[in-house]
Amino acid sequence: MKKLILSIIFTFSVAFAFAQVTFSPATFTAEDEVTITLDVTGTPMAGQDDVYLWMFSNDGVGGGKDALTNGQWGNSSDAARMTKIATNKFTFKFTGTTLFGQSPAELINFGFLGKSKDGSKQTQDFKPFKFDPLVFSPSQFRIFPGKLDATDMSTVYFHQDQATEQNVQRMFDVKVTLTFYNDAGAVVGTKTGLVAIKESTTVYSYSFIPDRVITIPAGTKLNKFTYQFTGSIKDANGGNIPTSAPVNEVVYTVFN
Amino acid sequence: MNNIKYIILALCVISVWGCKPEEFGPIGAEDNILKEMQGTWGLTKVTQVDQDATTKGFPYKQLDITNVYAYKDLSIALQGDASGAPTSFTITPGNSPKISDFNTGNWVVDNAKAPTIITLKNGNMTSDLTLGSYAGLKSGKFYLRKIKKANGKIVVSYIYEFTKK
Repeated sequence: MKKLILSIIFTFSVAFAFAQVTFSPATFTAEDEVTITLDVTGTPMAGQDDVYLWMFSNDGVGGGKDALTNGQWGNSSDAARMTKIATNKFTFKFTGTTLFGQSPAELINFGFLGKSKDGSKQTQDFKPFKFDPLVFSPSQFRIFPGKLDATDMSTVYFHQDQATEQNVQRMFDVKVTLTFYNDAGAVVGTKTGLVAIKESTTVYSYSFIPDRVITIPAGTKLNKFTYQFTGSIKDANGGNIPTSAPVNEVVYTVFN
Repeated sequence: MNNIKYIILALCVISVWGCKPEEFGPIGAEDNILKEMQGTWGLTKVTQVDQDATTKGFPYKQLDITNVYAYKDLSIALQGDASGAPTSFTITPGNSPKISDFNTGNWVVDNAKAPTIITLKNGNMTSDLTLGSYAGLKSGKFYLRKIKKANGKIVVSYIYEFTKK
């Protein structure tokens, strides 16, 4: 039984391992024109001349819609057909607001799969891909600047007045834990107990450049980091109990 | 009657002659920006700008990061020859985060009379910095801006304010 499960996992991973998605530009809002490039190598769509996209918005966050170009599952619309640029490589150009008939404020993310016109073959789902916001929404955690690479000064913020959990709302002696990851997703270094600056009664921050916080081995490229605000709350007897806010992940942007 | 014709003709010739473009001399002495840039400059302020937030009109557009690390340790010496043309540069970083991938080499500008881009060069490595307003040069201030782009769009920039030493 164990072998069967392992072989199923292996088969799926081989089947889906080679499909690749890239976007141009790499980041975009719902009002930007975006080109998807899909490489269907290693998927059930490999070797096909015609690939149609089946797209959907707001996966897992509510308020989702199918793309206006989808057509029927058994008969995709011609507007959903991708342009073949090489063997197994296809492109598709779209603008989020036009494609889904939703406003920029409504569009949070999208996903898609590649399929044959009649729906008899398909790739796995590729999702979710976030639209950059056009409207600023206050939140309990934020990073400045919004996009950065591993050589940039990064400032993480905790807006306690936006916290939804009671323990996080009451947290004091606020500190930060930073963990850095390489391209392979392995931890390169972690630093705990970094004392956050109290900018106001409800706002804490911590600024850093990664190589000033951890030692980065030569040749290691940082891909992302996580930050977590930690602190204490009082128990019924007035004693301090450690508590922590959720972990947030920041993926580094590739500048060119 | 003949005299009137000659007078009109003479007036026409004088009018055309008078329409020659005149060259106005400079008002005061011409500034040599490159000469004014030369010398040793200490870094006194660093501002990080989120260009994406600026474009979208979001709050939190820029942040003064001067005192996060020892940026004020850093100084840059820009050398030139007798005519004022740029030659070598040296960055002395102290304990400051780096503002360029190399600390010595040559510097060149895109336009000798009105430079906007300073390029620091060391072998095959180059680093472009945008020059800010010239207005501060006379009072000993000089601004450089480093920009970082993704897909042709400026995403993050740093404004470095230097004061003449």
